[in-house]
Amino acid sequence: MRVTFTVNGERMTADDVWPGESLLYVLRERLGLPGSKNACEQGECGSCTVYLDGVTVCSCMVAAGQCEGREVGTVEGLADDHSEGSERRLCAVQEAFAEAGAVQCGFCTPGLLVQADDLISRTAGAGRGVPEDPEIREALAGNLCRCTGYEKIIDAVRTAARREHEQVGQEAP
Amino acid sequence: MTAVTNQTISQPLDRVDGPAKVTGRARYSAEIPLPGTVHAVLVGAVVPSGRTNTIQTGEAEQVPGVLAVLTHANLPKIAAQPRLFPSLFGHAAVGETFFPMQDDVVHYAGQPVAMVVADTLERAQHAAGLVHVSYHTAPSTTTLEQGRDRAYEPGRIFGGLLPGRMERGDPDSGLAKAPVHIDRTYRFAANHHNPIEPSSTTAVWEDDRLTLYDSTQGITATRLTVAELMGLPSSNVRVLTHYVGGGFGAKAMIWPHVALTAIAARYVGRPVKLALTREQMFSSCGHREEQEQHAVLGAGNEGRVTTLRHHKLSATSPFDDWAEPSLNVAAQAYSYPNYQGSYRLVRTNTMTPTFTRGPGEASGMFALESAMDELAYELGLDPIELRLRNHADADPLTGNPWSSKGLRECYQRGAERFGWRERNPAARSQRDGHWLIGSGTATAGYPVPAFPGLQPQRARARLYADGSAVLQAGTQEFGTGVATAMTQVAADGLGVPLDRVRFDYGDTELPNTAPAVGSAGSGMVSSAVHSAATSLRDQLVAQAVAQAVADSESPLHAADPSTVVVGDGRMMLRDRPETGETYSELLQRNGVEDAEALGSWQPTGMDTGYALTTFGAQFAEVAVDSDLGLVRVRRMVGAFAPGRVLNPKTARSQLMGGMLWGMSQALPEGTQMDSRMGRWANASLGEYLVPVNADAPEVDVEFVEVREDVANPLGVKGVGEIGQIGAAAAIANAVFHATGHRVRELPIRIEHLLRSA
Amino acid sequence: MEFLSPATWEEALAAKSAHPDAVPIMGGTDVMVELNFDQHRPSALLDLTRVAELAEWGPDGSRVRLGAGVSYTTIIQRLGKHAPALAQAARTVASPQIRNRGTVGGNLGGASPAGDSHPPLLAADAVIELASVHGVRHVAAREFYLGPRRTARRDDELIAAVLLPERAGPQHFCKIGTRNAMVIAVASFCVTLDAATRTAGTGIGSAGPTPLRAVAAEEFLTAEFDWQGAGPLSEAAVRHFGELVASAARPIDDVRGSADYRKHALSVMARRALSWSVTDYRKGEAQCA
Repeated sequence: MRVTFTVNGERMTADDVWPGESLLYVLRERLGLPGSKNACEQGECGSCTVYLDGVTVCSCMVAAGQCEGREVGTVEGLADDHSEGSERRLCAVQEAFAEAGAVQCGFCTPGLLVQADDLISRTAGAGRGVPEDPEIREALAGNLCRCTGYEKIIDAVRTAARREHEQVGQEAP
Repeated sequence: MTAVTNQTISQPLDRVDGPAKVTGRARYSAEIPLPGTVHAVLVGAVVPSGRTNTIQTGEAEQVPGVLAVLTHANLPKIAAQPRLFPSLFGHAAVGETFFPMQDDVVHYAGQPVAMVVADTLERAQHAAGLVHVSYHTAPSTTTLEQGRDRAYEPGRIFGGLLPGRMERGDPDSGLAKAPVHIDRTYRFAANHHNPIEPSSTTAVWEDDRLTLYDSTQGITATRLTVAELMGLPSSNVRVLTHYVGGGFGAKAMIWPHVALTAIAARYVGRPVKLALTREQMFSSCGHREEQEQHAVLGAGNEGRVTTLRHHKLSATSPFDDWAEPSLNVAAQAYSYPNYQGSYRLVRTNTMTPTFTRGPGEASGMFALESAMDELAYELGLDPIELRLRNHADADPLTGNPWSSKGLRECYQRGAERFGWRERNPAARSQRDGHWLIGSGTATAGYPVPAFPGLQPQRARARLYADGSAVLQAGTQEFGTGVATAMTQVAADGLGVPLDRVRFDYGDTELPNTAPAVGSAGSGMVSSAVHSAATSLRDQLVAQAVAQAVADSESPLHAADPSTVVVGDGRMMLRDRPETGETYSELLQRNGVEDAEALGSWQPTGMDTGYALTTFGAQFAEVAVDSDLGLVRVRRMVGAFAPGRVLNPKTARSQLMGGMLWGMSQALPEGTQMDSRMGRWANASLGEYLVPVNADAPEVDVEFVEVREDVANPLGVKGVGEIGQIGAAAAIANAVFHATGHRVRELPIRIEHLLRSA
Repeated sequence: MEFLSPATWEEALAAKSAHPDAVPIMGGTDVMVELNFDQHRPSALLDLTRVAELAEWGPDGSRVRLGAGVSYTTIIQRLGKHAPALAQAARTVASPQIRNRGTVGGNLGGASPAGDSHPPLLAADAVIELASVHGVRHVAAREFYLGPRRTARRDDELIAAVLLPERAGPQHFCKIGTRNAMVIAVASFCVTLDAATRTAGTGIGSAGPTPLRAVAAEEFLTAEFDWQGAGPLSEAAVRHFGELVASAARPIDDVRGSADYRKHALSVMARRALSWSVTDYRKGEAQCA
């Protein structure tokens, strides 16, 4: 079957999709977007987290056909693309992860970034302030990391949320 | 010797690979875009023992897009079977001395019995499900319990490196004379590493030359192993790995699926990619073996431990004598004059166990440090005080002095951070609602690898006339931060700014280094990189000051090289820094585009006259639901003395991660064998539980500085394992303090604490 | 394999009628695991995510009607007042990503004894609305679970909605897991006190071949509880309630926990949930007074 949907703002089509294929498979194997990682295929690790119509999901748990006409956002689309040819600027949460030491092997990182980006946009980005640690831990509970011990990930999310909060504060009238 | 003025080592620099990883640009081994790549999927045996009877491949072969269905009947045979030897030594390093699909014998469940290659992954997976295998099943042994009466004492373990039995002093009379005994048995479930990236290999042939993209902790080991298995010249095998999604020992040895991918690629004449599934990871890359340890302490009434008897019984495979070396650090942790240790093995129908983070010491120090805690309660001594009374001022094994230690400071600083002194020593003395609160401590120790027969470590330094520099070594980055730390080592060694240096790695065409295992990576590679960088620096300084060459225009002409310092890419006189020139000026004036030097370092053997071990102290606070037996770790403090810390940001993350591994070893993590089926019962991330973010306690890491002059030129002792060692014991000791109930089994299960109410 | 993507409920029912072995898929949390692991290749997938009314919820007479496609996230955010135990259970489901996709309808379709929504549905005496081209029928949750992963749903039927009686008293859900999140229940328990009917309800998860009720415990509590004055229960009564709940379980040993542990844990959870409920009930009575 053919599946057409928007990925990171760009309309993409995958042909010869087997109806049982996951969104993750289509992204990685058919659309050349391996940023979302394949690590458990059962929704237990969060490495494949993407936005689907603005909501975070495990892309291994979404059938490709369910995405027809919908909007998908992956780690590859998190950085702001200012204009053609210009250097892509890291988004707040990407920057904070790189600085805080929240990245080690990097395999859980893409899924974590999407999930953390969602948390920050729902909290600090929506004028709700910087989330408390328990809220951060709960929001990221579905993203397994085997390297870091999570502490630096929490640091990074706090930092990104604080920056977002300050920026939202400045933008507000 | 020329000095360097800029100093980036020990600065908490951001990771050089951070941007690639946070943007999703980093390509792991299953993500290399190569035209024409096809997919291989393994079919594993569903019985643990016996022979395959029939393997029907017809239906699978009919699936559109299927290129080959390989079984023992048509798989080309391997040329040779390398021996089992830890990859650290730089030789071929198979994880087990068994290569599947050479005949019809089944040694363990999950062992590959067929391999399907197809044009898409989905078709290969589907066809793999259509390979119909029937078996002649033989009786199996898959647990220690089943094989206990057939245990044997191996002459040597661990690839023949370690003796199966050790003794010093007179343990029998030591125990007979000791008025106080602790005599306990500790049990450990098997563990699987579960790096988030499942292992994968992509194999590409060009004529008789093979390129492998492999998720490995040792590209050199992959090269040598696959070359030997396939009868290829080593020079014909190139291994590339730019990003590896975690290893923890699962990728420290070279497992059969790597060569199988290469064989499949040659068979179908196309690049072949093989990515293991999570479930296959449980029967493809080894594990920490199921084991039990019997520890007997003999002590005087004042707490002086005179004797340790430490026996281990563990499960190995049908074909290898493997036990993780659990007895090493325990044998030298305290100053007991009498010691006896031994390993006994049981052959089971599993694959060969392997290195798993904190190999050996994570289990051995759990037993010793649990027993020490029991002794402390028995004698009414503070657990730290007991450990101080038994502090080993010199290595009790050899009598040699420690190259560096810092353990007393670790206890002291850790205890301060944790607030140990405020603790009520009585068990079951603190309650918070239905939670019982307790705290515990343990000693951490991990050897700095020092063995005869380690390979020389090499690196290359190249400086261009424009002042930019490249350092190269055939190592690999699987999350440790080695690429970042080596950039720092290179910048300091050369005396150039950090932003002018790039560290190249992940390619066997680069100078050879050993696989990164056993916390040896940063010590080994930094020595080679340091050597290359300083060689190039000295070469350029020598050129600048040389009197006999045509170029006499250097401001440093005829200067004594020992008076020259470098910094920011410029050579200058120490006393008159205005006199000097940059590397660029030197090269450009001479019309030379670049300069290059090789560095080499021979790792330390055992003949240094010193004992090399990294020490630390662990502290944990737990809460135990007194009705339900649930254990939650509230906070952990670790104080460690790992010698020189190249990058505190990456090192701290490593140590914190290690401590969480200790927590994980203590609580959620353990593989259970379904002995009826002979298969691992919880081979998924839904059933093999590792901590999630919401479980992670507050973790505090304290560095204790010690000067290390023996291990290697930069004094690096390594941080990969030490964070984990002792952490599980600190937690179990805290559980005892909270509940008065001693758990001598890992993981600690809810059932263990049911009676604690 | 076909991929059926009906846009309306009528189309969905027609598709299910034409393909009785088509597997309905919403959040995919069960179905996709089977497909990813190639355990099962059905002839067709029936995607219900485009049927708008399945994702709706609202009052329906004296009950709350919850479309089978309402996500756990929505239940947590919007149904805390109407169905507190179900909302509490939803909060413990897997991860935020899974809660964004997963639905009660999917939980009912899979009917795993470990499914988190079953104990609240049993305790609250919810009704499952099943539909086919032949019509609609209602089955009480208490009669829905027939055997291991077997339910009263017929092959040509789809789960349309869950009908929850409007809450008339406290409800509490408890779940035991060895992690703080991402937990498949070792055991779970739900209790409801319904002031309107003066009956108690219970539900047990992960401790039998199907989700279970502790009928004797319900009867005991219904008789024993002081519905009028909301007087405290004696310690002995609370303990007895816990024992009755534990004795209703039919657990097995597995990797998550032993049968003995499950029974013990159920008695503890039952005591705790009952104590919290009685406290809440008394507060509610006090407010009314």
